[in-house]
Amino acid sequence: MGISPAVLAGVPTFAEPAKRTTRASASVGKIEVLNPKGFPPAIKLFPMAPRVASLDGKTVYLVSDGFAGAHRFLEQMAIWFHKNMPSVKTVYRLKAGGLTGDDPKLWAEIKANGAAMIMAYGH
Amino acid sequence: MGIPTAPIVTIAFEQLAKTNAAQHGVPHLRVCFTPHPMTNKTDAEMYQVLEGKDPVTGKPFMPEVIDALTKPLTAAEKQTGETRPSTGPETYSDTPDNLQRFYADNNMTDFQPIILPTEEKVEWMLKGTSHKPDEIVGKMSAGVPSAFPPWSFNVRQVAINAVMAGAQPEFFPAILALASTGQTAIFSSTSSFAHMAVINGPFRDKVKMNYGIGALGPFNDANATIGRAWTILSKNLANAGLPGFTYMGTTGTNFNYNNMCCAETEDALPAGWQPLHVRHGFKPTDSTVSVFTGWSLTNVCYFGLPYHEMITHWLTHYFSTSNFSAMLVLDPTVAADIKAHGFDSQDAFRDYLVKNTKTPAWLYWQRRDKEMALAKQGVEPYASYLKMGPDADIPVSRFVPRRFPGMPENAPLPNTIEMIVMGGSTNTYWLGGDFRYTVTASIDKWV
Repeated sequence: MGISPAVLAGVPTFAEPAKRTTRASASVGKIEVLNPKGFPPAIKLFPMAPRVASLDGKTVYLVSDGFAGAHRFLEQMAIWFHKNMPSVKTVYRLKAGGLTGDDPKLWAEIKANGAAMIMAYGH
Repeated sequence: MGIPTAPIVTIAFEQLAKTNAAQHGVPHLRVCFTPHPMTNKTDAEMYQVLEGKDPVTGKPFMPEVIDALTKPLTAAEKQTGETRPSTGPETYSDTPDNLQRFYADNNMTDFQPIILPTEEKVEWMLKGTSHKPDEIVGKMSAGVPSAFPPWSFNVRQVAINAVMAGAQPEFFPAILALASTGQTAIFSSTSSFAHMAVINGPFRDKVKMNYGIGALGPFNDANATIGRAWTILSKNLANAGLPGFTYMGTTGTNFNYNNMCCAETEDALPAGWQPLHVRHGFKPTDSTVSVFTGWSLTNVCYFGLPYHEMITHWLTHYFSTSNFSAMLVLDPTVAADIKAHGFDSQDAFRDYLVKNTKTPAWLYWQRRDKEMALAKQGVEPYASYLKMGPDADIPVSRFVPRRFPGMPENAPLPNTIEMIVMGGSTNTYWLGGDFRYTVTASIDKWV
């Protein structure tokens, strides 16, 4: 799951190591050119939420982001839990705001009533 | 939020999901992957996915999901603090040939040769504006800002990209204006967005833009390089256009090479018709660039009907990625014909189109489950629409102005049909497509 810092910066791979030189040190035949990149924002690191020891007897929210088919996929997941982990209670919800919008009301509901969330799917 | 979460993403978006998680400060997010695509799978096939393996990790899928929610966090997953990604050194040094290869290999170009941005060239470009090099121009995101955190950039960085695109200093204010809109020319979506930049006002003639014969073709350096600069700066100043990471357009679009950068043929507007920028609140003497976003344009020439009727029929029957917005690029001869049929302004013509266009039945009934239920209960007008059959044109326009998701409640409703007049009057052609107007920015501000 690791990710290269270079990818975050938008420079996924360099053909050769980038060299920082001064004009005075550039050798014959070489020229100095400028980096065209903008300023990426600082990234604040967030610790992930503590995990639950077990899902037994807990409520798991199955949240659709609204992408086509996600609802049916999560219906099948609810069936899977019913067959394989019957003590788990599943609750289906459709997140407001589409793929990328926030839904604070839903998050509050899950925090009050749920132990965990499964969200599907990214596309 | 404090709730353990297992996000599920299809494998086509593996890189995007991991990159986005990292950019939002959760680099070790426990993403579980399914095969791709999922949308059209049957219920039984979807259940098989749950019983199968994560195609990325090879682990059984549902046990992995449960692990994601229950396995204790590692030290890395609890990490806090702040990082600022590096974008590399300020300068690079090598031979010109190697540098051309270097910029391309690192996705900093459109993969056509560039003008290498030396200090001297950038200083030359900066002569095109009175603004200081370190002035922040704005922020730009590779897609939806909540998904792709915007990058910021200054005048000098825009100048570096303008040099790379081959622009002249006198074009630079238009490039700064485009950059100031914060809109990327290469928007991240699976749908291969295209964009269009339309320039209005005295600037068009000042830099000798082409708005006559072949205005959308490769026949003018201002049209060509202002549009090209928008693409290159979108890559470098917003981190846009990294396939798999910040770009997911499945087919891509050739429009991204220069974004149909053009100018409106203002001198040929029929009497009473206004230039695009005036219709959006600017004065005729202002110079502006207006941005459109969409996917496709169709080139039409047909002589069987007056143009206002032909366009009505075309708008009724065309369909595209978006079926609720339209853009018309009218040759001056077509605009003159429309005017001759009594349309004294673009607004009058647009109102006519909204009133007279219809929707094919097959398209109308898509995503209208409530109306279909009412139709089956005999509720009018839906019952009559249903009786018209699957091949009918339902008398409801797709282009009635509506509120888009996320629009402020008090914002005026946007025009769903926009039009510009452009071309060399060599024949009665017009273009129609699914582009939507987004914003107009002042060029004068950046002189």
